[in-house]
Parts: sequence; structure tokens; C-alpha cells
Amino acid sequence: MPSDTSATELPSQISTWKDDDAALLESLEQIEQKHGFIPRQVAEEISRVLEVKLARLRQLQVKVESNVRKEVDALVEKWKGEEGNLILILHEIENQHGYVPREIAMEVSHALGVNLARIYEVLTFYHYFKLKPPGRHNMALCMGTACYLKGAPAMLAEAKALLKVEEGTTTADREWHLDVVRCIGCCGMSPAMVVDGKTYGRLTVTDVPRLIAKATPTKAVS
Amino acid sequence: MNRMTPADLATFAKTPASAGLNWVRVSLDTGGIAAGADTVCAIFEKEAGTVGFPLEVRRVGSLGYSWADPLVEVARDGMPKVVYGQVGDDDAHRILQDHFGRRRLLDDHVLASRARSLEAPGSTAYILVKDTSADKGDKTQFFQFSLAEELKRCNLQDKVQVVRAFDMGIYDEGVTVQFLPSRVTYTNVLAPDVARIVKTTIQGKKLLDDLLYKKPDKQLRVVLRNCGRFDPESLQDCLRHGVYQGLARVLGSLKPEEVIAELKTSGLRGRGGAGFPTWLKWQITRAVERSPKYIICNGDEGDPGAYMDRSVLEGDPHSVLEGLIIAAYAIGAQRGYFYIRAEYPLAVRRVEKAVAEARAAGLLGENILGSGFSFDAKVRLGAGAFVCGEETALIASIEGKRGSPSPRPPYPSVRGLFGQPTAINNVETLAAVPEILVRGGAWYASFGAEKSRGTKVFAVTGKVRNPQLVEVPLGVTLRDIVFDLCGGVFGGKPIKAVQTGGPSGGVIPEHLLHTPVSYESLQELGSIMGSGGMIVMDQDDSMVEVSRFYLRFCVDESCGKCAPCRIGGYQMLQILNRVARGRGEKGDLDRVRAISKAMQKASLCGLGQTAPNPVLSALRYFEPEFKAYLEGGVSYARKMSAGRPAEPAPAAEPANA
Repeated sequence: MPSDTSATELPSQISTWKDDDAALLESLEQIEQKHGFIPRQVAEEISRVLEVKLARLRQLQVKVESNVRKEVDALVEKWKGEEGNLILILHEIENQHGYVPREIAMEVSHALGVNLARIYEVLTFYHYFKLKPPGRHNMALCMGTACYLKGAPAMLAEAKALLKVEEGTTTADREWHLDVVRCIGCCGMSPAMVVDGKTYGRLTVTDVPRLIAKATPTKAVS
Repeated sequence: MNRMTPADLATFAKTPASAGLNWVRVSLDTGGIAAGADTVCAIFEKEAGTVGFPLEVRRVGSLGYSWADPLVEVARDGMPKVVYGQVGDDDAHRILQDHFGRRRLLDDHVLASRARSLEAPGSTAYILVKDTSADKGDKTQFFQFSLAEELKRCNLQDKVQVVRAFDMGIYDEGVTVQFLPSRVTYTNVLAPDVARIVKTTIQGKKLLDDLLYKKPDKQLRVVLRNCGRFDPESLQDCLRHGVYQGLARVLGSLKPEEVIAELKTSGLRGRGGAGFPTWLKWQITRAVERSPKYIICNGDEGDPGAYMDRSVLEGDPHSVLEGLIIAAYAIGAQRGYFYIRAEYPLAVRRVEKAVAEARAAGLLGENILGSGFSFDAKVRLGAGAFVCGEETALIASIEGKRGSPSPRPPYPSVRGLFGQPTAINNVETLAAVPEILVRGGAWYASFGAEKSRGTKVFAVTGKVRNPQLVEVPLGVTLRDIVFDLCGGVFGGKPIKAVQTGGPSGGVIPEHLLHTPVSYESLQELGSIMGSGGMIVMDQDDSMVEVSRFYLRFCVDESCGKCAPCRIGGYQMLQILNRVARGRGEKGDLDRVRAISKAMQKASLCGLGQTAPNPVLSALRYFEPEFKAYLEGGVSYARKMSAGRPAEPAPAAEPANA
């Protein structure tokens, strides 16, 4: 990065950096430090860049929204005439996205003519529906009675320590989501857990790092 | 498949079930798959061609021996049928090579048959050996060796193979041997008996009466009759094993009233836990003169520690559907729903497939089997709410609302789904119905206890040697179930209690294990039958912890609609947490009892009414444990939480540090 950045040569640089927000911000800060303010020339150039960027984002948004609408319309169409179809629709959304995004919930509210509050009433009642996106990998530890007695709490502590998350939350890098579930019906093989949709049974505490390493082999678990 | 007629059904039922003589059945339920049954199955499917004769590989439901998953049942022309347990990928290859190739059984994997014979054995080809004594001294190897030596001495080594068994289904009876194919079983065999066993039983084909194990098997499979026997995803396979015969009889020759009467004779009561007579529920719903009526199959098995509904739905969905259709016919319903937990994806998939196949075959839909009766069923998914197992909450959930219960009366049989008369039956209840109609109500009523007729499936888990599903006639004792059928406590520790009924039930201490299991007897002990989860606890398990565990469950699952459950449960949990930290106050236990009483009397639905049960029963039988926390204070609580292996270590060590 040139150290003697002057106000006049910046606009051209800004247009080259327009796709790199971090670099843009950095050079702006440098200019501010040097001049004490941001010259008008520069500000104008930046607003031009931002205009273009915003227009592009808006296009993207329209595309996504129409896609969401199409998706929701298709679901509503599929379950039309079925009494009590709200939960069925939410199930499909949950299965597709791994959670129920707010935009989609709003769209469902439109399409079904049901108040958004009513949809959230249902969403928040059932454990199955999540309101936040899941991680790239998901670990669901069974805390049914059989698993509880046979050492699931120790496994949970180990998983929490290794992944550095609390139960029901996702790591900062969205890599892992740790959940505690009621009973997955594998009591015969307790303690059990589900990692990325596959059920593992007859586990011990030492299996936890092994399962984590298996799902994310590149990341060394320390 | 074309639409079926009653004649087609009869033909199917008469067709031999399996064409081939050589087959492998792999138990592919959720538990089996978790243990790796799918890869085992793939190996068999891939390499079935290498054995040199036709070998059928079948995907079936679970036999219930959960601790031995992955389970494989094997039949080879001219050899006895054998169940292998804990079959790994290598073992699958060995089964193909040794069992099918060389007609030799594998050591350490065979589960001996429970259908033991008392008749004089014919010629013996295999002897299973296993030391089942409680102490650790394992004499299996020694006996295998000495039997083999003795056979060699008599020049029989090529005719009889001695095999170390994996499990005999008999526990604490010393060294046990089973002769195959006769299934004659000897227990408490000692070294000096080896010679006379070979001489009398193998060469002479006579029984040694002093060694013969005469106790009949306590299990009786009605609900689980088909699980593990055929492919639940193939309607044809099901029909060949007699599924839909009950329906054929009902639609062909019985009036709805007669179906209800047959159920009345059978004495079948709701297997979901409350034990309401099934016939009465149907009759009340039938008597309401409003239509449409609905029938719902309750597969929302939320009780932690119970998985029989999952097993039945995965292993025999067509029988449950058959039961649902019969129930619909009896009450006059036109529409039905399966309400299944979303946490059971395999069960959901198999039931959906069963419904679609049955509809295509004319067993569901308009004019079923040409009888003029029309009925259709749909599958609805639960979404992880324990309270939805309660009737009125379940109905609200199917209606697409949050699953809050509503006050009863009006009962669902009068005002249920969409305001219409509705009957709700548990999976297990419905699975028993077809068999009752095939074999008659009197047959079903012929076993069981006085007021609790028939059989019940229990999921025995926790600190038990062999966690599994057992189906027994009601009236057998808890001790029979835990010790005789499941091998007692894991690791040989002393048993402390058995918990039945999940979060709505209670603990039953060791000295009451002789109680025969029935709806009434368990209620008297402060527990309930519930859905049939049975959790074994050993001396290491703290009752204070266990009651906190269940209470936390109920507090989490309370829907919050009525105050006694919402507030009472939370308050109780606070008090118990305080006690467990050693900061309990005088009078805390009385406070817990008072709150419990209020919850039992004033809660709106079963969840709140029964939520105090685990705590109350723990207090009833193990009050000294609670008092020790009160008297011992903080230091005692610390000591206890440090001593318990189940609790997390203070700071979990990094794995590779």
C-alpha cells in the first residue's frame, strides 16, 4: 500500500478496491489520519462506488425474495386444503434449511394469511424448529434417562470443552452446533449421539474427540 | 400392485413366506443402523453371489435384542437357524465363508434360541457353550475345550462342533450348553458332566434330567410377533406372513359391534400408559352420532428410555396400519392419522411407505377389500414436544397449533380433532388388535394378570447387562424381567431400583421387585406402567439426582398453560437444586410434598398431574438420601458430586494434552 497517498490519486484506487471493503476502510482511515478529514473528491467517489454496490445488492435481494416466495408458494400449494397444514409446511422448511429463517416465516404468514405471531407461537413451542442457522456440523447428544445414567453428562462436558460452545449454540465460525436432545430411541445402545445425521451408540468420553476429529479431519482438535 | 380381494389375501397367506432355503436377515432399525448394520447388510448384498448357491439377503426390523446389535439371522439348508449378535464387517465375511461355506458356526456371536426344547434330542450337530455364572470366572473356554476333547475321544469331532455362544438367554446358572438343532438346554454343567453329556445326550440321544433347564421362556411375543421376521418395506412379504388377515376377517364377517365385543373379551387396555379399556374407548366414540369421525395412532413416544413404539413402527408398520383400519371400522371413522415423532425419521419413512403401498393395493381408501367400507390415513409429524403425547395436546398439534392441552371433558371421543369425535390409540395397542381378531379375544385374555390382560412390551435399559425390548404377559415380576430376561445389573453391582413410566412414573426399590407388573400394582407403588420404559439403577445412582433429572425434564416440557404445572414444577426444581447443593432448608421436603399435592390435584393435563411422581416415589422409598443432603450440608453435597462417575470431571482434560 503506498504510504504517500494523496487525495487526488485516491479515487482511482478506490475504484479498484471497490470490491474489497476492508482495504477501502483501511485507506479511508489513513486519509482521515493524514488530512484530518475526508476530502470531498474522495467522498464523492466512494458514494458512487456504494451506489453501484447497493444496486447490485438490491438485485440480489429481489432475486432471493422472489425465490423465497416461489419456494413458499410451492409448499403452500402442496399442502393446500390440508387442515392444520402450518406445521407440515414448517417441517419442510426446517428440513430444507436446517432452521426457519425469518424472511420465510414472514412469507408463510403472507401466503397462508396467518398472523406472524401465530407462526412464531408454533415455532417457539416445538423443540424441533430452530430459529437460528445450524452449524456446518451438528452434534446432538442424547440426554434420555438411559444415556444420562450411563455417562452422557460427562460426554456433554467433554464436547463443550472441546468445541468451546454451550449446549444449544453454534461455534463462532459456524463450524459446529452442539445440541442436547431428549431421547433418540436408541436406549439399547446408550449413551448415544447423532453427529451429522448418523447415530453412534455405546460411546465413552474418549469417543467424543474421535467423532469430532472424524467430522472435521483438517481441524486439529486440541 | 393391483387392488386386492379377500381371496388374494388368503392366497398370499398360504404362499410359503420365503422361497429360498438359504437366507440372511439383517435387523435394520435405527438402533441396528447406529451399530453398523447397514454396512453389514451391504457386505452381504455385495458378496451373496460368492457362496455358490442362491442366497437371499433380507432387510428386516429389529428382534429386540438391542445390546447385541447389529443382529443377523441366518438360515442355511440343512442347518439350524441361528441368530448372530454384534456382527461387525469382518464377522459378516466370516459368516459367508464359515457358516455358508463350511457349515461351521462362528464363536462368540451366537444368541441361543429362547424356544428351548424339553423333548429328547435327535442327533446333535452343534453344541453352544457359555458360562453364565455371576462371578467373573469365565469357564466357557475350558468347557469348549473339554467338550471338544471328549468328542474327539469318541471320534465325533467331525460330526459335532462346539461353539462358544454370545448369549444364552439364561443368566447366573453356571455353565450352560444348548444342543442344536434340538434346542435342548442344560444348565449348571460341571466338568465331570462332560463325559456323560457326550455319552448319553449326543451318542445316546437321551435327556439328562438333572441338568435339563425346564423353565419355559417368560417372553411371549404378540405385539413384536413380526418384528425381525420380514421386510417391513415390502407389502408382499408382509402379506405372506399373515398381515391383514385380521382385517380380512373383520371386513368379511364381523359387524363393528362384534369387533368391539371381541376387544372387550380380550381385555386389552391402552398401552400408552393410562390403561383405559380399548373397547370402551371405541364404543363411546362409536356411540356419538356425528360425522366425520377420526382415529389417531399416537406414535409420539416422548418418554426418554422407551423405544418400543419406534421398534414396532420400524419393524412392522403394516400391522399397526391394519390395527388402525380395524379401529376405524369399529368406531365408524373415515379418516385417520399417524402422529409420529419427527425424531424417528426411519419410522416415519416406513409408515409413509406402508400407507402408500396399502392404498395402492386397495387395503386403504375407497371400498376396502370390496366391503363398502372406506377409510384413509395420513402421517403427521410431531415436532419435539413431550406434552403432545397427551390426547388433547396431540389433537391441537395435528390441527397445526401449538400443542397445549385443553380441559377434559369434553373428551376427544365426543369433541376431538377438528371438533369431531376422535379415538386415540397407542402404537402398541393397535399392533395387538389384528392378532386379537385373528386368534380371538379369549386367546389374548388367557394370559396376563387379573385386571391387566395380555402382554406388554418393556424397554429395559439403564444399568442393565443386556438392554433390550422384552414382551411378557402382564403379571410377571419386575425381578423376572430385569434378572431372568435381561441378565441383571451391568457390571454385577447390586441393584438399587427400577424406574418405570418415565417422567410420569416413579422408582421401585429393590425390596419390591417381586411385585407382579400390572397397571394397578404399579400405581399402588406410586409409579405407573407408562409406555413401558424400565430403567435399572444400581447403587451408584443418586435418587436425588434422578428425581432432579426427571423434574427438570417436566419443567422444560411444561407447556405453561396452567399455573400448577408451570409454577409448581419450577419451584420444586429450585428446592431440589438447593437440596442437591447442600443448601436445603428444614421443611424443604414437606414443601416438596405440598407442592406435589397441588400439582397432582390442580394441573390441567397428565403431564402436570404426574410430574411430581418421580420425586414423590423417590421420597417415599429413599427419604434418607434426601435427608443426608439436608443434614450433611455443602461438604456432603460436594463429596457426593465428586464421587459420582456420571457427573462431569471438574475440568475436562484436553484430549491430546
